[in-house]
Amino acid sequence: DLPLSSLLALTVPRAQNLRPQIANPKLATNNPTLTTIVLEKPFCVFDDSRSPGSSYVVYLYAMADSASTVSSAVTDNSSKPLNTTFQDTNGGQLGPYRAALFNVPNCVSPPLLADVVNVKKVSDVLKQYLFRVGDDVTCLYDPNFPGACNPPLAEDTTYRFKYLLVDLVAGVVKDQTLWSDPMKTLKQTSTIDTWPGRRSGGMIVITSILSTLIFLLVVGFLASIFFFVISCSNTSVSLYKVPQDSAFTDPD
Amino acid sequence: MAKGDNGVRFFQALLILGNVIIGMCGIALTAECIFFVSDQQTLYPLLEATNNDDIYGAAWIGIFVGFALFNLSVLGIFGVIKSNRTMLLAYIILMLVTYGFEVASCITAATHRDFFTPNLFLKQMLEKYQNPEPANNDDKWKSEGVTRTWDRLMLQNQCCGVNGPSDWQNYMSVFRSRNSDSEFPWPRQCCVMDVQGIPINLDGCKLGVSGYYNNKGCYDIISGPMNRHAWGVAWFGFAILCWTVST
Repeated sequence: DLPLSSLLALTVPRAQNLRPQIANPKLATNNPTLTTIVLEKPFCVFDDSRSPGSSYVVYLYAMADSASTVSSAVTDNSSKPLNTTFQDTNGGQLGPYRAALFNVPNCVSPPLLADVVNVKKVSDVLKQYLFRVGDDVTCLYDPNFPGACNPPLAEDTTYRFKYLLVDLVAGVVKDQTLWSDPMKTLKQTSTIDTWPGRRSGGMIVITSILSTLIFLLVVGFLASIFFFVISCSNTSVSLYKVPQDSAFTDPD
Repeated sequence: MAKGDNGVRFFQALLILGNVIIGMCGIALTAECIFFVSDQQTLYPLLEATNNDDIYGAAWIGIFVGFALFNLSVLGIFGVIKSNRTMLLAYIILMLVTYGFEVASCITAATHRDFFTPNLFLKQMLEKYQNPEPANNDDKWKSEGVTRTWDRLMLQNQCCGVNGPSDWQNYMSVFRSRNSDSEFPWPRQCCVMDVQGIPINLDGCKLGVSGYYNNKGCYDIISGPMNRHAWGVAWFGFAILCWTVST
């Protein structure tokens, strides 16, 4: 295994077959969001293209995956990285912009994902392992902002990303990954139906039985009142008549 | 003659027993409805904001009906013992009126229980939470109530949103239009906090790293007590009514 991989590494720089990857969904569950996409930093990707003694930095370029993109080139003719910004490219709509630059991730001692549960180490692990595109909400409004501004992305838009290895001294691109697979930011919905839809069985049972019962009760009550009145008038009539009758019948 | 007298005595005893049970049920109903109205979880602002707090109306009726049932049962017992016709007539008429009220309360509670869907609470959470520009004073009052209740609910119960934190991502909301998604994917109350009320790791919370944000929704915590109490008001009322009819 080892000889083969080193042979491959000799023929083709490894980074040119690789793409930036979206962060492990088991680690970062909230990804992508409406305006951010979290990427894994390029661990051990640029190892073959670095020569000892020089200092390197990684550039991250982002562009919207749309029809209006003029060019996806990130270097000029003399293989220097482009200095395009978010504003220049209309938020990546017109072409790639530089979203970030950071040190080359350390392939020898990468952060341990198991340390994420450790409150003291989690901050470091996340910082070393992940990069959040669209994280900086203030840099766009700061005229003196140094470095690459990384403002929030647009909703419901597809983006692609690319890592570049830049030699700091010469200022030229030494190596680069492929453009990543398209990644889409979330979209929001506005319609929520609050109608409960189906009625529960309990509600139907209670309503129907109680309606019937109260109906029966009212009918029964009215009936008893009716009979009460009837009997009252009967007795009053009979009370009134009985003495007469007896008066008439007694002499007989 | 002695046999008929025994029959009457037996019937009277039965009526008295029935009335004693009605009286006890009346007290229990009052107690239950008072418990519901006292709002132990302080969830009333959520209901108020939905313009759908009739269930509280049902509970208030339940309080008075329960008390009335208790008084009526006393009246009924005296009426039966004294075999006073006027007393019994008054008893029957008042009982009918009370019965009508309890039927209304019971049906209201049962009907409104059905309205407690996740979407009902979701919609008003999205529309009212942190609303900075309420349409009028009434709306302002409701928005403040909803915001306060949600802040407390999420913090106390370690839950987030109605169905989960993704509610803040998937739906348009006042909170979203006020806050940048990059900075506030969801309210800070959704983050796991330390004792001082500071997220133990803000980045982890924003990224949704397990252990640094609350991933369960609050719906169970809201609807659990409300549903149980409404169930009690509805079905217990129903049971009393059935018993009263049979008596």
